[in-house]
Amino acid sequence: MSYSCIGTEAVCNSQDSSSSSAQRSGTSKSNNPSGGSGRSAESSDHQTQDTPTPKPLVAMRVKKGCNSTETGVPVTTEEELLRKPVITPEDVLGLQKITENYLCSPDENVYSIDFTRFKIRDMETGTVLFEITKPPAAERGQGDKKDLDPNAGRFVRYQFTPAFLRLRQVGATVEFTVGDKPINNFRMIERHYFREQLLKSFDFEFGFCIPSSKNTCEHIYEFPPLSEEIMREMILHPYDTQSDSFYFVDNKLVMHNKADYSYSGGP
Amino acid sequence: MGLLTILKKMKQKEREMRLLMLGLDNAGKTTILKKFNGEDVSTVSPTLGFNIKTLEHRGYKLNIWDVGGQKSLRSYWRNYFESTDGLIWVVDSADRLRLEDCRQELSSLLLEERLAGATLLVFANKQDLPGALSKDAIREGLALDAIKSHHWCIMGCSAVTGESLLAGVDWLLDDIAARIFTAD
Repeated sequence: MSYSCIGTEAVCNSQDSSSSSAQRSGTSKSNNPSGGSGRSAESSDHQTQDTPTPKPLVAMRVKKGCNSTETGVPVTTEEELLRKPVITPEDVLGLQKITENYLCSPDENVYSIDFTRFKIRDMETGTVLFEITKPPAAERGQGDKKDLDPNAGRFVRYQFTPAFLRLRQVGATVEFTVGDKPINNFRMIERHYFREQLLKSFDFEFGFCIPSSKNTCEHIYEFPPLSEEIMREMILHPYDTQSDSFYFVDNKLVMHNKADYSYSGGP
Repeated sequence: MGLLTILKKMKQKEREMRLLMLGLDNAGKTTILKKFNGEDVSTVSPTLGFNIKTLEHRGYKLNIWDVGGQKSLRSYWRNYFESTDGLIWVVDSADRLRLEDCRQELSSLLLEERLAGATLLVFANKQDLPGALSKDAIREGLALDAIKSHHWCIMGCSAVTGESLLAGVDWLLDDIAARIFTAD
């Protein structure tokens, strides 16, 4: 059996706060339901890999029956959150579906948190299924960044084969660098949906990050069991599986990345 | 019901443990972490921050933190002490010259209040190297027998071959579980 997931369309994050600080437009602090804004960033710093590959960050603590109402977190809506000056972890935990917009602008990443690697491996065979890296910001040069969409690098598209959905245990690694300020309380919340259904919600506290450090985190986890029916639907409808990744420093949203997923790739 | 009891009960529910792996630079912390999790260890480079793995092992949810050991990073170690259930101290058994440094760093860690409740596992790593000191020599060099404040154990191991890594971690988990997850 081969999990030759196609990594070729995965777009590596190329977020660069210096290039985007003047361009808040597409990032919707305005209450602008232009669903397309977050979807247009499939360009830039493409890192195509030959190795068979899938996605990062699925890393989930699986919660069954993830409705906020069941876990005691008040339900929130994107519209509400877009009006708030500060968005907290509890706010995004109350969301019931994927967001249409980014809930913060790239220039709110004042700690220069930069994701430099995503990797996923199948724990049963040890095979690296997907790995994507980008050079550190300093090596990316100052090229023609002004022409880039400010949301470039906040969005990643993954293409997997159906076999990916049958994996049992995977390890998902992220690597990130932080700027020259220490971070006291760094937390990530990632929510995966198929259409309006929350598949998994993952919440992890990194806590302190050393200034100018490079850090990695691998979550090794069991895939949530999905029904045959939903798997079939997910395969039939590429990119209807989506995720929001929210990053908080001291309980304030500073980064928001998105991804979508296809499981209908060739063998 | 005391706060400690409540905390114990909360941990018990999730059976979650936080392990902190420290030691001088080049001791082999990252290699141990990777080998333990079945990863390729041929390309390990100095850790300039932390490496975290979260995994399930024997029904426990483990969060293992490996923090860089370079001198410039050691002052940051204390940021990772909170809630630590187990401390893994990794020693390069072939690095005789720095054994005294190693003893000093460990002994100051053991004075830390926030590590007071942690079980200590010492890995005498690099036993595969010809010049490596034995586990007993390391035990003496680090004056482990003088430790009365913590449960401790020393294991000779090799991160490269994987020898005794599992045995060491399993001892640690058993000791922690006996302290945390049993009756109040």
